[in-house]
Amino acid sequence: MNSLTTYLFIAAALFVIGVFGLLQRRSLIGMLIAIELMLNGASVNFMAFNRFLAPDPIIGQVYTLFIMGFAAAETAIALSIIIAVFRRIHSINIEQARDLRG
Amino acid sequence: MTPLQDFFDPGILAQAAFAVVLTVTFAGAMIAVLPRNILYNVLGLILCLTGVGGIFLYLGSPFIALMELLIYVGAICISIVFAIMLSYPLHLSLPKRKRPKVAGAFGVALLVFGVLISIIFRTPWQPAAVRSTDWSVNTLGAYLLTRYDLVFEAMSIVLLVAILGAILISGTSGRRSS
Amino acid sequence: MNLAWTQDPNLLAAALSALTPFAAFALIMLFARPHARLSAGISIAAVGVSLAGAVFLLVRNWSMPVPIQITGRWLVSGDISIPFGFLLDPLSLLMLTIVATISFLVQVYSLGYMAGDPGFSRYYGFQSLFAWAMLSMSISPTMIQLYIFWELVGLASYFLIGFWYEKFSASEAGKKAFVMTRLGDIAFFLGLLVVLIHFGNLNILDLNGPQATERLSPVLLTVSALLIFGGVMGKSAQFPLLTWLPDAMEGPTPVSALLHSATMVAAGVYMFARIFPFFSHSANAMTVCLSIGTITMLLSSTMAMVTRDIKQVWAYSTISQLGFMVMGLAAGGYAAGVFHLTTHAGFKALLFLCSGVFIHHYETNDMFVIGRHGGRGLLIPMVCMSLAAAALSGLPPFSGFFSKEAIMGVLAGQHNPIWLAAGLLGAFLTAYYSFRLIFIILRPHPTEKVHRGTHAGHGNGHHAAGLYWVMAWPLIVLAAVTLVLGFFQDPLEFFLTGLHVVSGSHGAGHHAWLPIAAVGLALAGTGLAWLEFGRRGAAQVGFVERFPVLRALFANRWYLDHVYRRFLDYVIYGTFSNLFTRNDRRVIDGAIDGMCRATIGSGRLLSFVQSGMLQYNLMVMFAALALVALGFYFLE
Repeated sequence: MNSLTTYLFIAAALFVIGVFGLLQRRSLIGMLIAIELMLNGASVNFMAFNRFLAPDPIIGQVYTLFIMGFAAAETAIALSIIIAVFRRIHSINIEQARDLRG
Repeated sequence: MTPLQDFFDPGILAQAAFAVVLTVTFAGAMIAVLPRNILYNVLGLILCLTGVGGIFLYLGSPFIALMELLIYVGAICISIVFAIMLSYPLHLSLPKRKRPKVAGAFGVALLVFGVLISIIFRTPWQPAAVRSTDWSVNTLGAYLLTRYDLVFEAMSIVLLVAILGAILISGTSGRRSS
Repeated sequence: MNLAWTQDPNLLAAALSALTPFAAFALIMLFARPHARLSAGISIAAVGVSLAGAVFLLVRNWSMPVPIQITGRWLVSGDISIPFGFLLDPLSLLMLTIVATISFLVQVYSLGYMAGDPGFSRYYGFQSLFAWAMLSMSISPTMIQLYIFWELVGLASYFLIGFWYEKFSASEAGKKAFVMTRLGDIAFFLGLLVVLIHFGNLNILDLNGPQATERLSPVLLTVSALLIFGGVMGKSAQFPLLTWLPDAMEGPTPVSALLHSATMVAAGVYMFARIFPFFSHSANAMTVCLSIGTITMLLSSTMAMVTRDIKQVWAYSTISQLGFMVMGLAAGGYAAGVFHLTTHAGFKALLFLCSGVFIHHYETNDMFVIGRHGGRGLLIPMVCMSLAAAALSGLPPFSGFFSKEAIMGVLAGQHNPIWLAAGLLGAFLTAYYSFRLIFIILRPHPTEKVHRGTHAGHGNGHHAAGLYWVMAWPLIVLAAVTLVLGFFQDPLEFFLTGLHVVSGSHGAGHHAWLPIAAVGLALAGTGLAWLEFGRRGAAQVGFVERFPVLRALFANRWYLDHVYRRFLDYVIYGTFSNLFTRNDRRVIDGAIDGMCRATIGSGRLLSFVQSGMLQYNLMVMFAALALVALGFYFLE
C-alpha cells in the first residue's frame, strides 16, 4: 500500500477530477476551485517523487512550498479578474463571456 | 482487563487510517466538482485539501502538511468564500447543465487519466542511488535561505506583484462604476 | 550620324516627301494647337515640300530602267525578312504625285472652307497625318508596310469624318467607316498571312515576279488573291461594304474631296494595281473581282439617281467609278485602270470642292435649295463643276473621256459581252445623274426662284473676298488639269507599262465603234437629264421617281444598311454578344463569386469551432496534450 504507484495514482486522480471540474463547471469560481484541485494533485505528485525517488528530500518540499505560494498569488489575481469580468458581463457564468465567438 | 490494542492488528489500524484520509480527500474532491451550489463546492474543497494535508503527512513531511492547512485551507479557501459572498447572488437559480458538455468533459478527463496511468505503470521508477534522510524543518529553512534562495525571493516578488495586480484590476473603490 | 543617305537624291526626296507631313502632324498636335494660322502654315508647308519632292522624283525618274528600292533591315525571323523603306517605281511615283497634289490643293482650299472653325488646328493636324500615311503607303516596298499605312489612313479617315464630333451622326459615321473597312482589312490580313506562310516574304517586287506561280499553287493564289481583294472591298467601298462612304459625307467637304474621292478610297484600287501581276495569275479571282466591280458600279449609280444631297451624289458616283476602275483592272487593263484612277482623282476632287463652295455659301447640302437660292450665281464653281461633270460622264475632250474609253476597250476584249454592256449602261447612268444635279442647280423650278435677288447679295457679302479666292483657285487648277490630262494618256501608259509586261493590258484591240457608242450613251444620258430637269418648264422629277418602289429601293441604298442592321442585331448582338455577356456574367463572374461564396461558406461551416466558449477550447487542449504525451511516450 505504501508504494510510489499508489501515491502517483492518487495524484493522477486528483488532477483528473480537477480537469473534469475545470471543463464542466459554469461558474468562474467553480473553475477556480477545480484549478486548486489540479495544483494539489501536482503537489502530491511531487511529494511522492520526493519521498521515494529523490536523492535529497528537501527539494520536493521546497517545490511544494513554491507551488503553494504560487497558488495563493494566482488565486488573488483570479479573483480580481473574476470581479472585473463580473462587472462587464454581470454574471459569473463563463458561458456568458462569448465576445470571441466567431 | 485486555487493552484495546490487543483487539486490533496494528497494521489494520494504519491501513484504516490511510483509508480514512483517502476517503476524506476524494469525497471532498467529488463535492468540489459535482454539486451545483457553489458553497458546497468550496466546503468540499476545504475537505479535500485537509485530506491532502493528511497525505502529505503520510509522505513524510509534517511541515508541508501544516503549510497546506495554513495556506490553502486557511487563506485561499477563505478568500474564495469571501469572493463568493461578495459576488454571487445565491438566490438566483442556475441554468441546467448541458449534456454534451458534461460528456465531453468526462471523456477528456478519462483520456487524460488513462494516459497518466499508463505512463505511471509503464515507467520503471528508479530511486536515486544515494538518498539523504534529513527531513527536518531546520534543514528546509536553511536551504530556503541559502541554496534555494531564488525560490524564496521569487515567491516574495510574485506575491507582491499579484497583490498589486489584483488591486489594479479590480480597481479601488469609487474609481469605476459597476 | 551617317549622312550618306542624304547624298542620294532619290532617297532624300522620298524621305522628305513621306516624312515631312509627319513632322507637321507632331508639331501641330503637340505645340501649335492654340495657334490656328500657324498650324495651317505648318501643314501646308509640309505638304508643299512633299509635293515638290514628288514632282522632283517623277521628273527625275521618268525613264527609269528598273524600280528603285531602298530598304533597311526590320523584321527578321528565320527565313522571313521584312524590310522597311521606299519603293520607287512608276506606279508609286504616279500615286505619290497625285496624292501630294490633291492634298496640297485641298489644304489650301480648307483655309477658306474651315475658316473660323474652332477645331482649325486639329483639322490641319489630321490632314498632315493623312498626308503622311497616304504618301508613305504609296511608296511602301512590302505589303506589311503598305498594310500599316493603310490602317493609318483609315485612322486619319475616322478622325476626319468624325471631325465635328459633337454631332452624333458624324461620330456614328466615323465609327461605321472604321468598322466596315476593318472587316475588309481582316480579310486582307488573312490573305497576307497566307502569302507570307507559303511565299516566304511580302516584298512587292517579289510578289509581282515569276516566283509567285512557282511557290504558290493555283488554289492558294486564288484564295490569297480573293482575301486580299477583301481589303479592296472595304477600303474602296465595293459591294457589299459600300454603305460607309455615303455616310462619310458627314465630314467637312475638303475631307470628302481628299479622302473619299481621290486618294483614300483609291488606295484599294492602288493596292490592286500594285500587285496586279500577282492577282492576274488567278483567272477565277479576277472574274470574281470583275463581277463585284460591276455590281458596285451599277448599284451605286442607281442610288445616285434619286438623292437630294449634293455630296451624296458624288459619293455614290465615287463608289461607282471605283467599281469601274476595279472592272478595268480585273479585266486585265493595268494601264487603263491606273489612268482612270489618275483622272478620276482630278475631276472628282474638283466636283467635291465646287460642291463645297456651294455648301459653304448656302449652308445646306440640298441641291434643290441651292438651286432655288440662285446657286448658279457663283460663277467659278458652277463652271468648274459642269466641266468636271462632263469629264465624269466621259464627254470629249475632257480627261474622263480618255480614261473611260481605255477601260471600255479592255472590257470589250473580254469574251463575255456582259461586262461591256454593264460598262456602257454605267456610262449612261453616270451622265444622267451628274447632269441631273447640274441642271437642278442651273435651272431651279420656276415657281421657287423667289429669293434670288436678296440672297445673291447676302451671299457675296458673307465672305471676305480673300477667302473666296483661296477657295477658288484650287478649283481653277484642277479644272485646268481635267482639261489637259486626257492628252497625256500615251506618255503615261508608256511610263507605267514600259517596264512591265503586264498580262492582258489594252492590247485587246480597239473597236472603232466603241468610243462612238460610249459618247453617244453619255450624250443620251445628258439629254434625258436635260429633258427632265434642265429645259424650261421641266417637272424636275426623274423617271425613277415615278416608280415609288424603285425610288424607295434606290433611296434606301438597296436596303443594304437594313440588312446590316438586322445582321448586327440578330446575329452579332443577339447571339454572340449575348452569349459572351452571359458567359462573362454567369460563368466567369459566377466562378469567381462561387469561389468567394465557397470560401465564406466553408468559413461559416468551420466557424462553430470559434464558439467563444473557453471550456471547449480547454477540452481540446487537454485532449491534445494527452494524445501528444501518449505519442511521445509510446512511440519511442
